[in-house]
Amino acid sequence: MWNSLKILLLILFGGSFGLLASAGVFTVLVAVGLIPRFAGKSHTAGQIVLYEEMVILGTVAGGLVSVFARYCHFGEWLVSRGISQAAVQTAGTAAVTFFGLFAGMFIGCLALAIAEMLDSIPIFSRRAGFRHGLGIAVCAMAAGKLCGSLWYFFMEIHEVVK
Amino acid sequence: MADPVCYIKLNRNVELTEADVYIKDIGSIRCADKLVAAKVKSIKVHKFCSAGDSVEAGQETDTQGSGAQKKSAQDGGMPKHSASKSRESARAKGGKMPYEEKRCVVSILKIIELIEEACPGVTVESLGETEVLIERIKVDTHKGWQQALKAFFIAIISFCGTAFTIMAYHNDIGIADVFTRIHEIVMGSEPAGVSALEVAYSVGLSLGIIVFFNHVGGRRLTKDPTPIEVEMRKYETDVNNALVDTAEREGKTIDVE
Repeated sequence: MWNSLKILLLILFGGSFGLLASAGVFTVLVAVGLIPRFAGKSHTAGQIVLYEEMVILGTVAGGLVSVFARYCHFGEWLVSRGISQAAVQTAGTAAVTFFGLFAGMFIGCLALAIAEMLDSIPIFSRRAGFRHGLGIAVCAMAAGKLCGSLWYFFMEIHEVVK
Repeated sequence: MADPVCYIKLNRNVELTEADVYIKDIGSIRCADKLVAAKVKSIKVHKFCSAGDSVEAGQETDTQGSGAQKKSAQDGGMPKHSASKSRESARAKGGKMPYEEKRCVVSILKIIELIEEACPGVTVESLGETEVLIERIKVDTHKGWQQALKAFFIAIISFCGTAFTIMAYHNDIGIADVFTRIHEIVMGSEPAGVSALEVAYSVGLSLGIIVFFNHVGGRRLTKDPTPIEVEMRKYETDVNNALVDTAEREGKTIDVE
């Protein structure tokens, strides 16, 4: 009896954490207006409901994988079901590459959208007083992000931040 | 007959597939005199040039113009209504249109001038926007497998991106540690297997998003537009305003001289 009350408390906690965490994360995502911009750029505003569905599915999938990370060793599971190690390795690499590429695109857009929300680029260009070459600046920014990201992973800087 | 009042409400942004732009395309007209209303609606405002069009030829077709204009030109001297500045500059170079004209901004003053020329004595009352952004679109760019491909691509980005975002967020806050600690505090022991907390959290997460986005599986929960639809409109307004302001600053707005 006492134990089930405790479990009820846990369920209440978990439910409210989830509700508010998703509200918080999504307020940020919507406020930067990333998906409207994707839809606007590609002239596919008619598909916006699809995009929202994908946002919902993506968040739920990501949430499940990261909360239940200890049950999400898909590769090991496949190997234990008798599929060859090499095949699993190849498919896994392909899947991770696919996911990484698209997630990276999203994060790249998100990073610049947040920078833009703070008007950093207009202010910078106004202070520096340049009228042309904004394209070069943006390319340099992208190159900087690429180098920084690669450096971070190759030098294992994430090991330092613990 | 007393001079009729012609009420005109310009839209902010219109998309057309035709090269010729008439007033009926860019706004709505209300006039007590049906004849005047019809005449005003069929005034040509602008003609989009295609790349490589000979400018002189363009001018010729203009002066042949729409019938309504010709009939209404009582004093014979038809001013060139629809000459945009880009075309004037192209004619100054004596060549052809260097590029395909895709959009233009027309000021309400130009419209009033055109209406006054076409129907002298009519009072024009503007109730809408002061500038209209006219965009010429091609029908085939809005259809077909390319659009489907783009939609698919963006759907994948949205899926992977948000999955990554929420994982990074969970990693940031160290969700496993937090959950273990809460479980210890409430139950007095380390969690074994799936805890109720984690399941409830996942359910809450999905519920929160669904309530936030207001639809599930393509079905709306309430009639309100979803946050992204609202944001989309905001973005559209911003883009339109930026285009109109840019045209104004560059002096490309089609306005009275």
